Order: sequence, then C-alpha cells, then structure tokens
Amino acid sequence: MAERPEDLNLPNAVVTRIIKDAIPENVNISKEARLAISKAASVFVLYATSCSNNFAVKSKRKTINAQDVINAMEDMEFEQFMEPLKKCLEGTQN
Amino acid sequence: MSDVETQSQELQSQESEKQAANDNEKLFRLPLSRIKSIMKSDPDVTLASQEAVITLAKATELFIHSLSKDAVISTLNSKRKTLQRKDLDSMLDTKDCYVFLEGTLDS
Repeated sequence: MAERPEDLNLPNAVVTRIIKDAIPENVNISKEARLAISKAASVFVLYATSCSNNFAVKSKRKTINAQDVINAMEDMEFEQFMEPLKKCLEGTQN
Repeated sequence: MSDVETQSQELQSQESEKQAANDNEKLFRLPLSRIKSIMKSDPDVTLASQEAVITLAKATELFIHSLSKDAVISTLNSKRKTLQRKDLDSMLDTKDCYVFLEGTLDS
C-alpha cells in the first residue's frame, strides 16, 4: 500500500512535455516548479475522483463513468474542461 | 558542480524527448495505470469504467496545461526566463479554482 505521495506521482517526462507545450519556447522550468506541478496534478486526480464518485453515488451507481468525471469538472470550477472532454469522449464512441 | 552536469543532461534529454513527442503523439498521454492507481487509493471508490479513467487522464493533461499557462504569466511579468516555484505559488493564491491545492504542495 503506497503511503508515500511519490508513488502516486505521474511520470516526469510526460508532465514536462505538457508543461513545455503550454509555455513559450524560450521559457524554461525549474526542477522545483516541475515537481510542484506534477504533485498538483496527482492531487487533481484525487480530488476529481472524489467529486466524480459523488456523482456516481448520487445516481445510485457503484461504477464511476465518464459523464461523472465531466460533471465533476463543473463542480471543481473547471467548466472550461467540459467541452474538450465531451468532444474527446464522442470521438472514442464513434 | 554536479548540478550543472545534471542540468545540461536534462536539457539534452528534453530536446530528444521533444523529437520523440513529435514522432509519436501517444507519448503525450499520462499512463492510464497510474491514473487508475490514484483513483483506487480513494477508499470510497468501488469501480471506475475505462472511459472514466481515460476522461480523467485527459482532464489531468488539461489541468497541467492550464496550470502552466497561468503560472508563466507571472514569470513573464517578472521578466524572467525560468518558470519557478514562486510563479506557481503566486498564481495559486490568486485563482479560486486552484484553492483545493492549498497546503498539498509543501513537501
């Protein structure tokens, strides 16, 4: 059972790539900032999971589905994520 | 002195990673197994569909992207070329949607 937060961290390489895609090309990122963003992402997953689970429970389901995750975004004040996530979901369903 | 070596190594690996990223878009995706492990660590969670895990992975990518974009504004305002921890901290204090991160990033 992983008690240490590092075990739930996301791989550095992927996180770094996403960060670099978001910032101007001539800007670098410090190791501390990268680690903090990586940690924040793990916390985001935890928080989003909890919110998504609430939606599932409200609908009397034991399995979290994609719609629960999308609804959770609104609750978490990340409404701007809902549209791209819906589109992504529609893409995989077709 | 070893820090300088590590930094230059990191820069080199970052450049080759960029090339690899262009070659294969799939590398952009966070590993579903890791996302699933984090989800399972919540004792209240029973099951999550594969679609839910994929959607959450995508949401996390959007989150990292959004967080970086917001933080770099502070970097540019301070006329620096390196995104530092303090850029993150100042932005976390400002935006409401990041309030859930309060206290979690101090290790």
